[in-house]
Amino acid sequence: MSLTVEQDKTSLLDRIGTRRMLDAYVVSVAFLEEGVLAAALGDGRVAFIGSESADASRFVSVHDGACLSLSVDLGGERVLTGGDDGRLVSTDADAETTLIADIAGRWVELIAVSVASGLRAAAFGKTVRLFTRDGAAVGTFDHQNTVGGLAFDPKGRRLATAHYGGASLWWAKAGSQKPKPLAWSGSHLGLTWSPDGKYIVTAMQENELHGWRVAGGANMRMSGYPAKVKSMNWLPKGRYLATSGAASVVCWPFHGKGGPMGKAPLDLGWGVEGVVTVVAAHPKHDVVAAGYEDGTTILVQIDRAHPVLVKRPGEGAVTALAWSADGQHLALGTESGFIGRIRLSDWRAPT
Amino acid sequence: MNQIPVTVLTGYLGAGKTTLLNRILTGQHGKKYAVVVNEFGEIGIDNDLVVNADEEVFEMNNGCICCTVRGDLIRILGGLMKRQGSFDGILIETTGLADPAPVAQTFFVDEDVRRRTWLDSIVTVVDARHVVQRLEDSHEALEQIAFADVILLNKTDLVSADELTQVERRIHSINATAVIHRTQRCEVDLAAVLGRRAFDLDRILAIEPNFLSEDDHEHDDAVKSVCLRTDQPLDGTRLTGWLQRLLVERGQDLLRTKGILSIAGQDKQYVVQAVHMLMEGNFTKLWIPKENRESRLVFIGRNIDEPELRRQFEACVA
Repeated sequence: MSLTVEQDKTSLLDRIGTRRMLDAYVVSVAFLEEGVLAAALGDGRVAFIGSESADASRFVSVHDGACLSLSVDLGGERVLTGGDDGRLVSTDADAETTLIADIAGRWVELIAVSVASGLRAAAFGKTVRLFTRDGAAVGTFDHQNTVGGLAFDPKGRRLATAHYGGASLWWAKAGSQKPKPLAWSGSHLGLTWSPDGKYIVTAMQENELHGWRVAGGANMRMSGYPAKVKSMNWLPKGRYLATSGAASVVCWPFHGKGGPMGKAPLDLGWGVEGVVTVVAAHPKHDVVAAGYEDGTTILVQIDRAHPVLVKRPGEGAVTALAWSADGQHLALGTESGFIGRIRLSDWRAPT
Repeated sequence: MNQIPVTVLTGYLGAGKTTLLNRILTGQHGKKYAVVVNEFGEIGIDNDLVVNADEEVFEMNNGCICCTVRGDLIRILGGLMKRQGSFDGILIETTGLADPAPVAQTFFVDEDVRRRTWLDSIVTVVDARHVVQRLEDSHEALEQIAFADVILLNKTDLVSADELTQVERRIHSINATAVIHRTQRCEVDLAAVLGRRAFDLDRILAIEPNFLSEDDHEHDDAVKSVCLRTDQPLDGTRLTGWLQRLLVERGQDLLRTKGILSIAGQDKQYVVQAVHMLMEGNFTKLWIPKENRESRLVFIGRNIDEPELRRQFEACVA
């Protein structure tokens, strides 16, 4: 199969996709094994949608309130979700749930899972807690302010948190410790750690990114966004960092010496109106899926000007996007409860 | 996605804020509210949409030296939007010692907050008996009155009619645009508090601010209101240039600026709003034909040189 730019604006969803309305804000989506799609919803449910038909779905009421975060859990067969009920829960498609933590009055907005070290972390307001595969709590990391971003390093041995005034580096283990501070004034929201472990990047309240080289702590500022960056995702091998927050998909080059310092980012996907709200990089190819505030979703490719249309406008802002681990499935969700998925057997880049 | 109205409740400790909040939550208005309460509050409210916040005030690196926002609110409002449809409005209770500026500024600064919500009004509960003393010893009590769109002058049964008139005058000399309701135990028609669109100003500035007579200046509060008016159309470029310069230079002292202005050559009202240095101006509704197109501009702030402001304002006449 070969995908090319559709002049008649027929979308991939129209041609090869399945769709469904779930009647609740789609907070996050992720693929489990065998193409099962999990979606965390604003009404506290988690939807499991089978690969065969979008109608073959199962809903599990997990949180009393809204789901706020979702990640594939260790093993790839379950999802880990956090809610505004203060609970961190692991759930499988057979509706079996395991409560990992319950801290009333705290919102669980951030989750990180490290397959490499078999650890899971979640932020409960100002406190980050670390859990083993068995669910045992093995570490507590307290902060002065609410934690806005959370990520493991590639080996899962360290944990980085973003907050007001910068970021902190912790060792992902029990026992009291003092974090290594990465200071930069302002409010830091999202955080991502590069796949090679060399860089940490945070998204700031001021519509810009801030980066640090982990060794030495050198600062990098990446600015010029018209809106807040809410989504960041690394392309294969960490060559580029794809970001939301602009009319195009802004990709900062991290290959080569010095990372993005002194280099201009790539602007991909011109021609679509509005602001990108979510990005998801393909796990194997230099391709990024990007969702917009008006519901439009596109695929863009490095070194290629024209995007491929995945979804036409409508159904509210795109709030969630995810690729399956093999890169054959793409799913998206919107604030009005729309879920779409497409299967790209033998993805071949447009030529 | 629909925009949700937000009402901010302020008031010094013991003024009756909690009573008002409970009244709103138990009132028969057919509306459901999500409530953001501060962690140190004494509130025991039975509502499944109560969120605890702990007033994280963040400085913005946006070149605006007095610009602070409530980081926790940005986060909480974003989170509440995921539960869309389960409530009609949001109430934000601030601690008795809070300066209202960061809350108000959050609604100017954060694009996500602006897209999803609008600040309906800032409601301040004032204890009629103790407010005079509070104004002497508390900077925050003064700011809370200065920022209010609606003031509940509460516990009126504890003061004499004369004292009440005095207190009301004093409040008006600080904040000429606030609508004052006299209450006991916060008993008030909730329509006077909720769904006011007070930040839209239309109604507020339509009220005749004729209470600023000379004899009101017996109390020299640090914060006062100045109302400027003219029947002559203004030069849009000169006016916005002046306001922008003024707010950059004097924004720290100017707590709130509100105006409905008649611009030469324009059929629509130009409405300006500012909180400290952050200003927003829009052409809104049409002037009614043959209506007296009177421009009204109100400054609430400290160290205000009224004759100077008046001179500068009049220099903007087209």
